[in-house]
Amino acid sequence: MALQGIWSGTIGFSLVAIPVRLVKAVAPGRVAFRLLHNTDYSPLTRRMFCPGQEELVPPEEIIRGFEIAPDHYLPITAEELASVSPERSRTIEIVEFIDLEEVDPIYFDHPYYLVPLKGGEKAYRLLAEVMHRTGKAGLAKFVLAEREYLVTIKSTEGALALVTLHYSAEILPDNDIVPREGTVAAGEKRRMEQSIRQLRADFKPEKYADQRREKVLELLKGKMGNATVTAPAVTEAESEGPPDLVAALEEIMTEMKQQR
Amino acid sequence: MSGKIVQLGGRSLALTNLEKELYPRCAFSKAHVLDYYRKMAACILPHLHDRALTMKRYPHGVDQPFFFEKRCPSHRPAWAQTADIRLAGGEAMTFCLVNDLETLLWVANLAALELHVPLARAHAPETPTAMVFDLDPGAPANILDCGRVALILRDLLARLGLATWVKTSGQKGLHLFVPLNDPGATFAATRQFSKTVALSLEKNYPELVTAKMAKAARTGKVFINWEQNSASLTMICVYSLRAREMPYVSFPLEWPELERLTALGDAEKLQIVQAEALRRVGEQGDLFGEVLTKQQTLPHL
Repeated sequence: MALQGIWSGTIGFSLVAIPVRLVKAVAPGRVAFRLLHNTDYSPLTRRMFCPGQEELVPPEEIIRGFEIAPDHYLPITAEELASVSPERSRTIEIVEFIDLEEVDPIYFDHPYYLVPLKGGEKAYRLLAEVMHRTGKAGLAKFVLAEREYLVTIKSTEGALALVTLHYSAEILPDNDIVPREGTVAAGEKRRMEQSIRQLRADFKPEKYADQRREKVLELLKGKMGNATVTAPAVTEAESEGPPDLVAALEEIMTEMKQQR
Repeated sequence: MSGKIVQLGGRSLALTNLEKELYPRCAFSKAHVLDYYRKMAACILPHLHDRALTMKRYPHGVDQPFFFEKRCPSHRPAWAQTADIRLAGGEAMTFCLVNDLETLLWVANLAALELHVPLARAHAPETPTAMVFDLDPGAPANILDCGRVALILRDLLARLGLATWVKTSGQKGLHLFVPLNDPGATFAATRQFSKTVALSLEKNYPELVTAKMAKAARTGKVFINWEQNSASLTMICVYSLRAREMPYVSFPLEWPELERLTALGDAEKLQIVQAEALRRVGEQGDLFGEVLTKQQTLPHL
């Protein structure tokens, strides 16, 4: 399967620079459905609606606003947002090497793979091998689609994987979750430890699967062939344009035809 | 293999397979293609400048398989300018920018007979510099029917205060350009505007015009392809050669000439071959120059 590249550039630290491509490491397992109109099976599209003027709003009339108070907004332009976005960058700069066990899994956000590009294979293999042997992971800063991310780069069986991290300010505090202290009898503690020991196993994620997904796919397979519906051949071209422009064009065209 | 190294502006460029006949039916060789683009450079370069190039390459001539190349080849010369552009899928790609004669000759040497460019420049890929109406005849309609539609469009847009320019596609159709050169222009706006105009024409001239892509709807009519107004599509660059039996060129026409030829019904005269193209630009210069400079705004009605 061809992996779709999201970004390409170099990964580096001190004098090392390895050309790489970033690809997704996970594909969502959700079975996607389209929403259809039940009378003619047209696939439905989303339109922006203005409740104030009761009309559809074209893309060029849509701006962003920050809600300061109910019904009070501070408008902000795309240029203003761009002015505070980090500069696009072609490098993933490793700033520190850390032990991955030190990172609380709650920080892990989204996983990717790094694929070596032409000319980078040798250095890539070397870095992956050494990181694997020493059990170290790189901590790096990385700009992707207007945001700067903190990421870890670790070596899995010879491949380099990149995982974006949440910033610590994004992690919600857990202080209120831990119950107030109470006394626990020693016997209860021992029994709990024993039950945990009994369920101890090695982590084998392949033992588990999304059962609803499998059942949905099974259901679709069973229905296939005898119950398909076809959408009517409507194209984007069917809808009319802005009423003012349509009216102006009609008027001009009537005049033009009379003159010809 | 005949080849030679030429020195241009302090850069050296290896030209290869010069005798290969890329248009075998008229013995038009790679050397002729290079000579055409060299002589046309002053006119075509401003239209290629800072635009992400898509090459349509015919390594073994117009009768043999071709391929589109969007990614600027990694074997490019060190001096070739490039731009990284994020595609609709989110992936960034490195494109060639043909900003000088050396790069133009380098891509011509790759047998990139057809040079296709987007409506936006590489540094502002979401800002179209022009709105376009791509007029494509469905047989038995022909380029003369395109001429009729182009003239109606010209008059219609003129009444909305918009000046227009027209060129041949170098194949069967015509391309009508509405220069904008307005930093506020968006593809959303040009798409909506051109679509509305196309639908209005379809409604008023149902025997002549269709705004629908479907092949069946196009029989005997001129398809106004307004969907070309898109950041992800490219069009043949004005003055580019086309890969046909003869080295036809996508060439600008003056409106009175199109009026005359449409009235005469002379479809042949609307096909401009390379020698004719070079002769004409020698006399009249770049008729499409104002497409790059004329500032216009789509009317807010």
